Amino acid sequence: MRVVRYLQYWLSGPGARLQVTDFVPVMHPIRQWADTFPWVALVSAIEQRVEKRFPQTSPRGRRPVSIRVLLALELLKHALGASDEDICHRLRTDFAVMDACGLQDYQVHPSQAHFVLPETLCEFRSRIDEALMDELIAIQAAAAMEEGLVSPAHLVIDTFPSEQGSQRVTDATTLYKAQKTARPP
Amino acid sequence: MPPRCIKHKKPLALLDHIVTQCRHRSTTLQSHVRGLTQELAKVMRSFGRRCRGQGQVFVQLVRHTDQPLLALGEPINPFALKAKEHLDQTRTLHAAQRQRLTLALTTAMHHHAAIRQQSTRLTPGKKLSHAKLVKAYDPTMAPILKGKSHCPAQFGRKPGIAAKPATGFIFATLVPQGHPSDPSYGLPWLDRVQNAIDRVRTGPRRQIHSVASDLGRNDPCLRQALHARGILTVGIPKMVAPIAPNPSAQDVHTILQEAGLHRKRTPYQVHLACASGYSRPVVESHIASLRSRGAGHVRYKGLAGAVRQQGMTVMAHNGAVIVHIRQQQLSKRGQKFRRLLGLKPPKRNEIKYPKN
Repeated sequence: MRVVRYLQYWLSGPGARLQVTDFVPVMHPIRQWADTFPWVALVSAIEQRVEKRFPQTSPRGRRPVSIRVLLALELLKHALGASDEDICHRLRTDFAVMDACGLQDYQVHPSQAHFVLPETLCEFRSRIDEALMDELIAIQAAAAMEEGLVSPAHLVIDTFPSEQGSQRVTDATTLYKAQKTARPP
Repeated sequence: MPPRCIKHKKPLALLDHIVTQCRHRSTTLQSHVRGLTQELAKVMRSFGRRCRGQGQVFVQLVRHTDQPLLALGEPINPFALKAKEHLDQTRTLHAAQRQRLTLALTTAMHHHAAIRQQSTRLTPGKKLSHAKLVKAYDPTMAPILKGKSHCPAQFGRKPGIAAKPATGFIFATLVPQGHPSDPSYGLPWLDRVQNAIDRVRTGPRRQIHSVASDLGRNDPCLRQALHARGILTVGIPKMVAPIAPNPSAQDVHTILQEAGLHRKRTPYQVHLACASGYSRPVVESHIASLRSRGAGHVRYKGLAGAVRQQGMTVMAHNGAVIVHIRQQQLSKRGQKFRRLLGLKPPKRNEIKYPKN
């Protein structure tokens, strides 16, 4: 199995092998959510794009973390509203997250703090460009249409404002806040 | 918007770096650059203090600070030319490194010139709108609010979504650069939806029958382009009055006549298009779902980061929508539309066995 082959370096711990799927109920929200994605098509699209943009020049080095795991982590991060550190930590401790990442069973060394480092996730994210992002959304929509769940017959289109998350302090903001605090109650 | 000191600070830091790389000993240019950096720091230090607790209009403070900054920044261009000469003459650097530094210097000076031009316009006291004022310091980032004079403009992006109204499944998303007009979003969205439709291998051939939106997208050119693609524009209102959800036969005929889609679209499709017209609460519910997943704040860097964040949020949202559809946890309206669109088998008479 491809994911297991990629994750082998952190699957070789001592002790009994645990079946992840046994621990996650079928009706678990994360499991149900993860089952909606066409993972094979999504991973294939990313692999093709990444191979084209960042060709591998040398066969040396450690095997990379599977794209399936990284993509699932990135999506879970947004689904659960977690940070990079949080979601990488949950991959180590949460069976539902392991299941969503396509990991069927595992056998890990207790002293290992991380399966995937947040820096690795960040590096993976930086390789996704706009064209690839559009392709991924199109693949997901096409899969839902093929399944007969949605139809694009009648659409509604709209925009919404999205603030800059880490707001920098500007002159206008400083003055606005100063005026507000100086104003008598 | 970057801190204001960046506009001189960055080119100066780059000039200092280039001179240090080119010459091992300190030069006159280096001492001039460092002197200017120190003077700039003094001006900016006092600016922060003057800003605190002021009850004056923000534009005045900016103008007062911009004048000394413009005067200070004048020698930067000659310094840049000298640094360029140093770069051309030096033999201590590799070709790749020299090329990289030349590119960085050209870019920095290009940005400096753009900012300086805006600041020159600002200082004579010409009244500028909020958008102009904000863009003076960072042309790449647009304000997302217009027409508010009593508070600072909100920075960020204005992503758009093309969704299915009944369930909230998002077919396409778009994060444009800057702050384009609302009608300009229309066709790129539909191209992306069409791209998704073209990927469908099995089942019946899907088509976009109608598009609904708010009054902001009431543009004749957009309507014409949509009609040319065989798409009804009933859902885009022409005035503030609400769209009739149940049009008469005469109205349906008029709609089809106006759109020139008499043979392409059926009256039944027009009825459905009117029923699934633009509804603010429906759209707000989709946006609220995205916001709950963090789409309200762009946390990644730049336009590329915003695109990634928006895309991943939309995919996560779509996953949740599919879970709801599979479990049939939809509103009555959603269930009705799915039945009318043939996405759900019709209700069958089931034999209800008594419990006891």
